[in-house]
Amino acid sequence: MPTKNAADERISKFKNKGKDPAKLREKRITECVELRKAQKNECFLKRRNITLSSLPDEEALSPDTDTVDFRIEDIIADVNDGSVEAQTRGCQAARKLLSKGRDPPLKEIVDAGLLSRFVSFLSMDDEPALQFEAAWAVTNIASGTSWHTQQVVEHGAVPALIKLLASPMLHISEQAVWALGNIAGDGPAYRDILIECNVIPALLAHISPDTPVGYLRNLTWTLSNLCRNKNPYPPVSAVQQLLPPLIQLFHLSDKHILCDACWAISYLTDGSNDRIDVIVKTGIVPRLVELMSHEEFCVLTPALRAIGNIVSGSDLHTQTTIDAGVLNVLPKLLRHKKATVQKEATWALSNIAAGHCKQIQQLITCGLLPPLVEVLRNGDFKTQREAVWTVTNFTSGGTAEQVVQLVQSGALEAIINLLQVKDAKVILIILEAINNMFTAAEKLGETEKLSLLIEELGGLERIEMLQNHENDVVYQATQNMIEKYFNSDVDGVQVDSTPNAFLFQTSDGQNTFKF
Amino acid sequence: YKKKKSKKEEEEEEEYVVEKVLNRRVVKGKVEYLLKWKGFSNEDNTWEPEENLDCPDLIAEYLQSQKTAHEGKRKGSGDADGDESKSKKKKDDNEKLRGFARGLEPERIIGATDSTGELMFLMKWRNSDEADLVPAKEANVKCPQVVISFYEERLTWHSYPSEDEKKDDKN
Repeated sequence: MPTKNAADERISKFKNKGKDPAKLREKRITECVELRKAQKNECFLKRRNITLSSLPDEEALSPDTDTVDFRIEDIIADVNDGSVEAQTRGCQAARKLLSKGRDPPLKEIVDAGLLSRFVSFLSMDDEPALQFEAAWAVTNIASGTSWHTQQVVEHGAVPALIKLLASPMLHISEQAVWALGNIAGDGPAYRDILIECNVIPALLAHISPDTPVGYLRNLTWTLSNLCRNKNPYPPVSAVQQLLPPLIQLFHLSDKHILCDACWAISYLTDGSNDRIDVIVKTGIVPRLVELMSHEEFCVLTPALRAIGNIVSGSDLHTQTTIDAGVLNVLPKLLRHKKATVQKEATWALSNIAAGHCKQIQQLITCGLLPPLVEVLRNGDFKTQREAVWTVTNFTSGGTAEQVVQLVQSGALEAIINLLQVKDAKVILIILEAINNMFTAAEKLGETEKLSLLIEELGGLERIEMLQNHENDVVYQATQNMIEKYFNSDVDGVQVDSTPNAFLFQTSDGQNTFKF
Repeated sequence: YKKKKSKKEEEEEEEYVVEKVLNRRVVKGKVEYLLKWKGFSNEDNTWEPEENLDCPDLIAEYLQSQKTAHEGKRKGSGDADGDESKSKKKKDDNEKLRGFARGLEPERIIGATDSTGELMFLMKWRNSDEADLVPAKEANVKCPQVVISFYEERLTWHSYPSEDEKKDDKN
């Protein structure tokens, strides 16, 4: 036998047994071309972050996603076609339109009657590519206004999406998670419909050590939307179901997951004290306090909000946060460069100051007075308003000695300066604080000293001016205050007004006034 | 925390134990507290005048709970300062996933290249026409059998003509 044929024969016994060499060669060439094409695309994508077109007959790249230019008539024709191929093509084109950066045509797609087709595609388990495109399209329609989400729900998407959560294809079930998140986020009505359809167990089934981070991010966000909204709050049974896995997510370090987990807790603590109680009992408070110091603003913000909600609860709830070290974190946040953080931190502080005097003592011990005075002086108005509440709460619940310390820290001077604001409510809160200070002064027999101090600091002048305030309540309150505490005996009695003497020390022989 | 209550009919004085103070009221200028008795149901709760009681701790606890209930604590500002999490999100096109991230099942490897610096396989996925590149390192772990098939299909043996001729001669 000639050597050539022997070689051929031997080869055919092994790897390409029974195959035609000419066809094989053709196949190798096609594969090479595909390889080169994929490599070229890979390079382009890396350089310009562009998406690959995946329509079978389209050449490699569309550099500008905004020039995606499919006609709705074509899409309608394709989607209503009998063949899966056409349906997939049409659905994908719709998906691309709906994914445009600017002005995606949500309404046009809905008005074209495409939603019912998309929803029917969701249940075609034999055609995962079609399911995926449909799920993505539905996600984006549901991301619109309430009207858009309503259309999605009314076309029956919810049961189909919940079924898709069980898809063996991760990217498909993940897309369903996202779509359901958009529906839940619309408001309490749809949120509760999803809960009734048993969405929670189906979602929780996907939390495992093997779940990819990207998937967990979407999952956490959707869970947070199930915790969101009031009037009504989510049902207690639903909250109890998803709390344990939610708490587990706090062990992770991915900032997106932590961010949405914190938002979920902030929604759940935004309510009555029994709701707060459920959360505090999970033991999550120390982790929340820790996250208040997170370097990422997106994590810090909801953690602070959650703690702020918790300290608006009972004294016990507040004590839990103090025991977890919240008073060590707050000074930093009161000096944070972002005004919203300062405001929220001050609001939290005001609620801690509304606790009992032992907690107020802890405020003093942990050095919260200096930063409080700083925000009273320099904070933006919303922050200053929270700071004024802090002072008033402090003076209401604090012991006389604690109130003295507050005055000594400069807080009185600072609130006197704020008497010039236009906001009548704030003025009234300041006057209440001053009244409380007088109550404390009475216990120490030092009311005259306080009056003189206030006069020194320019307070009397301001209070007198407020008698002309347009607001009746302000006018009344200032009148009362002047009558009660500033009615000096005008018969030329000398007043000993040594500066800095108003330290509320028990002194003798200086009480020359009568009220 | 006890309270002695003497009944007219009986000679002895009986002792009942206060479990909790539930409420407070003022009747004809006198302060009264609603008490839950230990060992009795809530149906047996009674109002008792302040001066009959000897449970200062329980009273203080009640007063404290009332204090925080309506003094000072202010609930959530609810200020959506724009920092809140989005309630709805649209999925944009540049989110397109590639390789194993697409979550598809590997069908077979149809090519290999190392021009990117690392060995990459061109992967054909089940239920998709779109093949793309995956790192060999990842494929080796996630679908080793598919990788093995790829290599097996391409095994070549180098032949030595002298040996073959000898074999042929023998035949």
